[in-house]
Amino acid sequence: MSRRRDNSLEMVKHVLMAIVIALVIYPYAMLIILSFKNNNQFYSRPWVITFPLHFGNYGAALEALVRYVGNSLVVTSATCFGVVLLSAFSAYVFARFEFRGKQFLFYAIISLMMIPGVLGLVPRFVIVKRLGLLNTYWALILPYIAAGQVMGIFLLRTFFESIPKDLFDAAKIDGAGDFRSFSSVAVPLCKPTMATVAIINVQFAWNDLIWPLVVISDDKLKPLTIGLLSFQSQFATYSMTRWGPLFAGYVVASIPLVVLFMIASRAFVEGLTTGALKA
Amino acid sequence: MVDPMRFEPGQTRARRRRVRGVLQALRPGRFYLYLTPTFAFLAVFAYYPPLLAFYRSFYDWDGVRIEKWAGIGNYVNMFHDEVLLRSVWNLAQLTVFAVAVSVVFPLLTAELICSLRNRRAQFWHRVLLVVPMVVPIMVQLLLWKFIYDPNVGLLNALLRLVRIPSQAWLHEPKLALYSMMFMAFPFVGAINVLIFLAGLNNIGQPVFDAAKIDGASVIQRFFRIDVPLVKGQIKLIVILTIIGTLNGYGTQLILTDGGPGYSTMVPALRMYQQAFRFNHLGYACAIGMALFAAIFGLTFINMKLMRTDYE
Repeated sequence: MSRRRDNSLEMVKHVLMAIVIALVIYPYAMLIILSFKNNNQFYSRPWVITFPLHFGNYGAALEALVRYVGNSLVVTSATCFGVVLLSAFSAYVFARFEFRGKQFLFYAIISLMMIPGVLGLVPRFVIVKRLGLLNTYWALILPYIAAGQVMGIFLLRTFFESIPKDLFDAAKIDGAGDFRSFSSVAVPLCKPTMATVAIINVQFAWNDLIWPLVVISDDKLKPLTIGLLSFQSQFATYSMTRWGPLFAGYVVASIPLVVLFMIASRAFVEGLTTGALKA
Repeated sequence: MVDPMRFEPGQTRARRRRVRGVLQALRPGRFYLYLTPTFAFLAVFAYYPPLLAFYRSFYDWDGVRIEKWAGIGNYVNMFHDEVLLRSVWNLAQLTVFAVAVSVVFPLLTAELICSLRNRRAQFWHRVLLVVPMVVPIMVQLLLWKFIYDPNVGLLNALLRLVRIPSQAWLHEPKLALYSMMFMAFPFVGAINVLIFLAGLNNIGQPVFDAAKIDGASVIQRFFRIDVPLVKGQIKLIVILTIIGTLNGYGTQLILTDGGPGYSTMVPALRMYQQAFRFNHLGYACAIGMALFAAIFGLTFINMKLMRTDYE
């Protein structure tokens, strides 16, 4: 009896969960359905799959978006590379060596986590402008690297400290210098954590919205986030909106992160949670 | 006469020894050298900007030519800025709502997932909840813009099914702010759910079993055991949500630009507009400082109020 009650309770839970998931997923399913429609289908039967599917929408969207996707790829990969390299090395120095003022310097970095992004926005714009970087990739990459390092150093230092000192001593006896023991001992061991740091920064650089809006006005250099706005105004004008290609564009914009997620889902989920927990 | 050929090796050796001696003395110094790139980046883009913001918040400043000492003028002006004051009230509503829903719904969802007997199902629910995180935020914003579209949007289509008249949502001053609150629907952000799941998993089966043996009902267990034991997680999410809400204005900027009227204006957006539309950079810096103080204060209060003894 109780067994059966347990089972029906379990069913209720599954149904509840299915509803939650459906609500979460539905907008994106709708997005994909809508992306295959022409305007006739969109206005007559918007919420169900209609045939024929218009794959041409994707061609049109891709053509309009490819440049923005390229820009985002450049900015994101440069950011990622810079952050991982710099923060890994600095974290290694903090974890491995003793020197005067070490704690102070470390806390000087960590305390930056308490400064909200909104405070630095205006002066950062002025600095970038004075450096003559407006409308260049650097205007995005350099501040992103600076911002990403803080969390990166924090996460990686904790990890490096957990590596047994013997390993480094062994490397030293074998004649490895500071750099060699970094590249041959530390880096290979902390690849998973470095992947987490990388993912946090990919998420950040790929999604950032306001900073590009401030420093990039040249359409040729716009990253995807604000490129989508130009794209939007191209396909949705006052006289007529071409809904299919518009939604196809939204799907296209999501594909790179989806691919990354499929390749590295573990590091991805880890990045999401550690990113939030340690922030 | 000394043969230079025979003399040289010794000389180099001596010089080499001297050079090595200097390097030896500098050895601990090399760590500062190693950290230079990191601190160079931080100095320019992380330390200098907030300091500059503080300094310039006392100036009439357009970032180019006008640069006039204003004392606390900018701060005083904030209290006469009707739009800003209105935006503070909007922000307060947004924050209270966001904090409530981002604790309650993810916690309940995590409980639900945690209580499922089927491990595979647990795993898949977690994966599916993460899906929205993969979609760029801009796409999510534009998607919600479409859902709220007065003419062809999904929401009005649903309402038509139950014969409720269409609304203008983001274009309707009375509804715009509420529409914005509900954009997180169904409020089960993956990060928060994962944080709570981790917390609940930490409690451990023995505790749950003990509660069951003592005859605790599900409701009792939830309030007497689960909630107190995930207090740390609740605190964390409250802080993160407050910081996120006070800091964020991308949604407002993209969807409504603070309108209609000023019904969805928030202080950070006011700051943005003052800086980049009206060139009142000094005033914008003052608003930034106020936001910083607010975030700092609220975080501090939260830490004090929600003491967790077992950390």
